[in-house]
Amino acid sequence: MSRLLRLLPLLMLLLLASCATTPANVAGAGTQLETRQIQTREYDTLDKPMTMRSVVATLQDLGFTIDQADAELGTITATRLHDHTMRMTVAVVQKGMQRIAVRANARIGENSVTDAATYQDFFVALDKAMFLTLHKVD
Amino acid sequence: MSRALSWLLLTAILGGCATEIPDAALRLPESTLEVRSLQTRTLAAPSEIDILTATIAVLQDMEFNIDRIEKPLGVITASKVTDADSANEKTGLFFLDLLCAIGGGGCDAMSTAQDDQHITLTMVVLPSLARDGEYTTRITIQRVIYDKMDRILVLERIDDAQTYQQIFDNLRKSLFIQVGEK
Repeated sequence: MSRLLRLLPLLMLLLLASCATTPANVAGAGTQLETRQIQTREYDTLDKPMTMRSVVATLQDLGFTIDQADAELGTITATRLHDHTMRMTVAVVQKGMQRIAVRANARIGENSVTDAATYQDFFVALDKAMFLTLHKVD
Repeated sequence: MSRALSWLLLTAILGGCATEIPDAALRLPESTLEVRSLQTRTLAAPSEIDILTATIAVLQDMEFNIDRIEKPLGVITASKVTDADSANEKTGLFFLDLLCAIGGGGCDAMSTAQDDQHITLTMVVLPSLARDGEYTTRITIQRVIYDKMDRILVLERIDDAQTYQQIFDNLRKSLFIQVGEK
């Protein structure tokens, strides 16, 4: 017990230091290319309005409300309140002459969502919405 | 005892800053179709402007402020802050405080009473893909409830069918008035 008490200051220091962060984590973590790959999916369509309509429908399916949307720039930002606060921004951009790229990034509270599986789930949901939109199902 | 304490401290060190990204955070729930159908109605209207005007009017009727509108996407976002006080809850907490006082302690249960709620609503109004002259309207609503100390008590999506039905009933009336006034 006395040995443990001698170690206590060190343990307390570790406990406090383990939560220390850099003053401003502006640039984020992870490599730019890797992050982009995880967060982006391309679709064989040139219909940007329909793609954006599908993104809005997907976000609503996932329980988000839309904070901001800009049809011209192709960006949609949405928030979901459910046990935690999750915020997403989705950008719809034309790529070349035949494709549309959809990039999504999400944060839960103070943490950035970085795992590929979560973004994969989002794009599975978006695939379904795109299918319904392109087949003119409301 | 010392070993138990060591494990406790180690767990605190390792777990103290763990980030909590829930599994399947962006996976479609099984109830998606059911929720979508209670949030969506297709309404006939003479023009997109008519249904958007009627939608804005119904939001104003419900005392919402319009935060943003993006017409090409049919997105209207609105919000309001309302009282979330509940007389029943307050009575219960009052007696809990009373019991604590009798027991010699002070639990200040009243400070955990619901105070106000911030409601955010998105309405997406777009021409129906299936039928001309009709517009698909979908609503999603969320709310945050705060206690008397401004702490978050509840974060939730509103999935109550009756709420959505009431808004759509109001929208139909609003659309009727809007078209009649032209």
